[in-house]
This record gives sequence, structure tokens and C-alpha cells, in this order.
Amino acid sequence: MPDGLFLDIVDPWINWSWLSTHVPTVLAAVEQHVTLTVIALLGGLAISLPLGIAAHRWTTLRLPSLTTFGIFYTIPSISLFALLIPYTGLGTITAEIPLIGYNVLILLRNILVGLDAVPSDVLDAADGMGYRPLARLVRIELPLALPAIFAGLRVATVSTIGIVTITAVIGLGGLGQLILKGLIESFHTPLVVATVLSIALALVADLGLAGAQRLAVPWSRGE
Amino acid sequence: MNRIRGSVWLVAALAALATVAAACGGTSTPTTTSKGTITVAGFNFPESSILAEVYGQALAHDGYTVNYKLLLGTREVVAPAIKSGQIDLYPGYAATELEFYNSGAGEANGDAAATTAKLNTHLSSLGLAALTPSAAVDQNAFAVTKATQAKYSLSKLSDLTPIGDQLVLGAGPECPTRPFCQPGLQSTYGIHFKAFKALDTDGPLTRAAFKNGTIQVGLVFSSDADLNQAGLVVLQDDKHLENADNVVPVVRQTVATSEVTTVLNKVSAGLTTADLVTMNGQVELLHQDADAVAAAYLQQHNFFG
Amino acid sequence: MSILAKVVQWFTDPTHWQGADGIPTRLVEHVQLSAESVALGALIALPIGIVLGHFGIFGNLAIGVSNVGRAVPSFAILVIAFQVFGLGDTPIILALTALAIPPMVTNSYVALREVDPDVKDAARGMGYRQLAQLVRVELPLAVPLIMAGIRTSAVQVVATAALAALIAGGGFGRYIIDGLAQQDYAKEFAGALLVAVLALATEVSLWGVEQLLVPRGIRLLRAPAGARVRTFKTA
Repeated sequence: MPDGLFLDIVDPWINWSWLSTHVPTVLAAVEQHVTLTVIALLGGLAISLPLGIAAHRWTTLRLPSLTTFGIFYTIPSISLFALLIPYTGLGTITAEIPLIGYNVLILLRNILVGLDAVPSDVLDAADGMGYRPLARLVRIELPLALPAIFAGLRVATVSTIGIVTITAVIGLGGLGQLILKGLIESFHTPLVVATVLSIALALVADLGLAGAQRLAVPWSRGE
Repeated sequence: MNRIRGSVWLVAALAALATVAAACGGTSTPTTTSKGTITVAGFNFPESSILAEVYGQALAHDGYTVNYKLLLGTREVVAPAIKSGQIDLYPGYAATELEFYNSGAGEANGDAAATTAKLNTHLSSLGLAALTPSAAVDQNAFAVTKATQAKYSLSKLSDLTPIGDQLVLGAGPECPTRPFCQPGLQSTYGIHFKAFKALDTDGPLTRAAFKNGTIQVGLVFSSDADLNQAGLVVLQDDKHLENADNVVPVVRQTVATSEVTTVLNKVSAGLTTADLVTMNGQVELLHQDADAVAAAYLQQHNFFG
Repeated sequence: MSILAKVVQWFTDPTHWQGADGIPTRLVEHVQLSAESVALGALIALPIGIVLGHFGIFGNLAIGVSNVGRAVPSFAILVIAFQVFGLGDTPIILALTALAIPPMVTNSYVALREVDPDVKDAARGMGYRQLAQLVRVELPLAVPLIMAGIRTSAVQVVATAALAALIAGGGFGRYIIDGLAQQDYAKEFAGALLVAVLALATEVSLWGVEQLLVPRGIRLLRAPAGARVRTFKTA
């Protein structure tokens, strides 16, 4: 190797030949990234929907739920990963518990806002038409709360996609693995590719959900 | 009605998400009968990725399904993982492994076979085994910049003893607790550094810290390929702090069948220090992939028949 | 000994409270990195957001910048900063500042936009000129939401500063990363707790400042926009 040949000159920000020969690696990283994100979103919805409906119905639940998950939300993800590792090891569970927890807060807030925003005269009309509480919830209130729920889903999705990269510190990471590789091997390309793809993934997901929202609730302007 | 259609779309979106999750979560189905699955891990530096790939690909060629967990972390992370069965195999370094599993009792010496035998006495109760050590060696080494060497006329580590308190040592965060690292420099050479800076295990942070003068002495590996280019000079270990850090696969006993052991030992037998330096150079300087470099090595040495 | 007992032992060990790796030193490092980044970010973001909001221009950009900012992986920005600027505090502060800017731009824009147009009309009618109107009428009304943006930024910066340890940064993140490398669960736990407490303390204290700054007699209506712009988590 010639002396004094500085790496920076030899290492462009994107080495296209590396990229063209490493498409499977990149795709595998994207796949892991999407999987982790989807699990976090589904988990978040699974908890926040029943919790939100309950907190809307029984107002004593509101403040405790929002406060608990609000405090959880303020705790940095790296802290939560570090606190969980001795108990749940280096794996998907350790990664998902904080991610799901964060999403619960985002979705819970928005579900409550959405349900609160249902005009009371609509509720009155429904009651007057003979809807029982469960039917009213499912067929009137939740559909009217959809814009807010979608808005929350969009924020949660974009946030989760960003935080998943940090799980590289516990052996996962999705695209975060490429970022870590770029750091440890002093290599620009995987780092740049992972950053760009992460942002692109988030924006595509956001647009996709915005589109789905427009189809789902055509009568309301998307937030 | 609009509101029903809306709900249907939400359910459809969720169903799509769930399908994506299920599809992505599934691992690829092996088309041919596999002899079993082995998870190979590597430490958080490139040479370990290379060794993991070399051993892993040899096993894969022999018919095993191999999963990789590369850049997993330091030994402090990898050892619990293999003890708990999350991984099955990692490429270790005999003397450092011994001093890790015996909690720094100081049993390692310059004899690879003796060191490995001692290592196995500690591993057997954990359900682990170290196989036959290779001739390839990668020890901790301490380097300074050429400028520092000139300034203090340094050639060996003993030269640092009188000037230790003027210098900052840089290494991975695990260094202050490793017998072959900072504590060893203190007890064997009597070097007390001015400060310790936690960086990375022989990686870009250490190189950058040398460059901007944050550290004067840093931990590198004896098989590094980029030392000359980085303007670094290794100081001679004249009091033999470092011991027989020969490459040796550490494997879980349940996985260490005679066939697996044969394959791994064959790889170890053919590996030399020069091979490590060459492969490190290809990854560190030419940015080739660890798996490609490993495949080329195995090809060259006729492991693929 | 259980992990919690070891953590208590770690905190009660006097050597952990002195020296370059002691809690006070690390606290100062962490707060310094975070405060400098938020301050620098505010210096850039607030004027932009306020001006755009006052004139009501480039609204989609001002709100969109938060969407994009939320999508940028904080870990990647730190590593890129290291690879471009090398080792030290400068790359860390630059990366953290970049992450701090989006929520402050969006919040200050929305804050100015949500000032009641009737109030602005009245001010104009009373003879206030542009700058005076901005400073003496709109800004005091906008302060709560602007502060909420600063608060969101600050908490995210404190969280991301913990990641800076991955590029040899100081602060409480050092305990987490070093503890992980040394498999010293007590240190790792302690670091995680310290970062979490610092993040919560930042949130609470800046919320307190926000309450103090709300002009007396103003009750902030919880518009959906408020909830929307405040959910910004990148670390």
C-alpha cells in the first residue's frame, strides 16, 4: 500500500460499485427495519386503541394513562434499551418494548383528541336513533376519530423508523447495522445509503398513510 | 356509506401491515436438507467479522445452515451470549479468552497449546469448548505516532514508564478492566497514564484521536494492516505482557460434533498471521467485504473442493 | 446481589462522584453539549420560524421541516458528523444543533400563525408598526408554543447527546456505552437512569419556564396543532 495515501481521498461518499454489489445486504437491512417498525406500530395500536377507548369512556383513566406513557416517552431510547438488556437480553423484545411504549403515547393522545372531537349533537342524534353504546362507538365515534388516529399513526411511523436505527447498539438496527458498519470500518457508503434510505422509508410511509387517510376519510382535510 | 368504507380502509391498511410483518418475519426456507443451524458471532472489529465469515462459510460449505451476528460487541457482550445459547460459535484469541474466563487470574503464557488447555478447564463447566488453536496470532499492541516516537525516542513499552504521566492512553471502553490492557501496563511496566480516553477497539475513533492529538498512546492490534499508513508505530512488548493470543474457535459443546470440530480445526490449521494481515488490509484499506474476503481466502486454500 | 442493589452500591460509591469519569463531570459535559446545541439551534430556528409565521409565508416548508426532521436518524447524523469533522465536541454539537432546529422552526411558525387575527387587527388599528406589533403583541402571545418547541428540542437533544458516547463523546451516555462494553450492568443501569432523569428534569423545568412566561390572563387553548407539533421523538 502506498504510504501517505489518505483514506478520505479514496473513499467517496457513495461508492456506486459497492452499492451495486451489495443490494441483497441493503435489502436485508431494509427488511429488518420494516419488520421492527411494523411490530412496533401494531403493538402500539393494540394497546392504545383499547386504552384510548377506555380512557375516553372512563375519564378517571385519562390522566394516569397519559402521565405514565408520557413519562415513558420522555425517557431516551438508549436508556430504556440499557435498562432492559440485563432482563430481556439483546434481541427483538428489548428493542420493541420502548418502541411500542413510545407509539402508545403518540397514538393514545391522538385517539383521545379524535374521540373528544366528535360533536355532541352527532352523539345525541345517534342515541336518538337507537344506537346502543358499543354500536355507537364502532359505527359513529371511531370512524369520525379516524383523521386524528391516522395523524397519530403517521407521526408514530416516522418516529419509529428513526429510532429503530439506534437498536444497532443491541445487535439489531435494520438500516442502523449499515450505519454501525460505516462507523466501525471508516466507510462512507453504507452510512450514506442507510441514512438516505431511512429518510426515504419514513417519507414514503408518511405519504402512504396520508394517501390511505384520504381514501379512508374523504370528507376531512388531511392534517 | 362513507364511514363504513373508511373503517374498511383502516382495517385493510392494518391487514396489509400485518401481512408485511409476517412475510418479512419469516426466515428463508432451506431448500436442501441442512445438517443443522449454527449461529456465528464476531466482535466489534473487522478482523473478527472476517474470521467469523471464514469459519462460518467453511461450515456452510459442509452443509450447515449458518447465521451470522457480526459486530455484536466486546467479549463482555459475546461471552454471555454464547453462555446463554444465543450464539453457538465465535472466533476467540486464546490468551485473552483465558484471562477473561478466569477473571484475570494471570494463567496465560506464551504457549498456545498450554493456554488453550487451561482455557478449556474453565470453559467445560460452562458447556463451552475451545478447539485447536491456530498459528495465526493477533495480540494487543500499543502504538504511538511517529512524531511521539521521535519526541521521546521510544522503541519499547518500558520507555513509557518514566513519561507515562504526560501521556493519554486511548482504547476501547473495556480496556481499564482488561488484564492485557491498562491494568497490565500498570502492573507489568509500571506505567501510570495521565488519563484514559474511551474510544473504540482499534477503530476509526482511535485513529482519529491519534491524528488530533487527543491521545498519545493507543491500543491497536498486531495484525493491523493500516498502521504504517496511519503513521503509527508499535512499541515492542519487551516484558511480554501480551501472551499467546492465537486464534481459537470457542464453541458450545452441544454444537461441537466431531464433524463440526474437524471442519473448524482444518480452517484453523491453515490460518497464519500473514493471512490475517492480508485479509485485514483488504477490508480496512480496500473496503472489500468481510464475507467476500473470507470466501476468496477459502477458495484460495481449496476449502471449497 | 440483585442488579438494583448493585446500582445503589454504584451510586453510593464516593469514587464515582469525583474525577474525570465522575457524575458531576459527566453531568456538566452532558448539560454543556445539550445547552450549547439548543441555544445555537434556537438562534437559527426561532428567527426563521417567527419571520415565516409573522408574514404567513412558506407554511408548508415550515411544517414540513419537522416531518423531515423527525425522519432523520439521529444516530446516523452523529456518525456523519464524526466522519466529516473528526473527533471532539464540535461534530457532536453540530449534529445535535441540526436535530434541534426542526421542532423549533415548526413550533414558532405555528405559534405566530395562531395569534388571533382580531388581535393583530386591533394592534394595527392602534397604530403599531410591523416590528412593534411583532415584538409587543404577537410574540408574547406566541411565547407558550415557542417554549413548547424549545422544550421538545431540548429533551430530544439530551436524549441524543447520550448517543454521542458512540463517537467518543462525554456525558452520561459514556456510562451506558462503557457499561455495555465492560458488561458492568450497574454502570450501564446507572447511566441509563441518569440520562432518563436528566431528560425528565429538562422537560419539567422548561415546562415550568413556559408556565412563567405565559402572559397573565391568557389561557392557552389546547388546539390539536399543539399536540401535533409537540410529538417529536428522534432518540
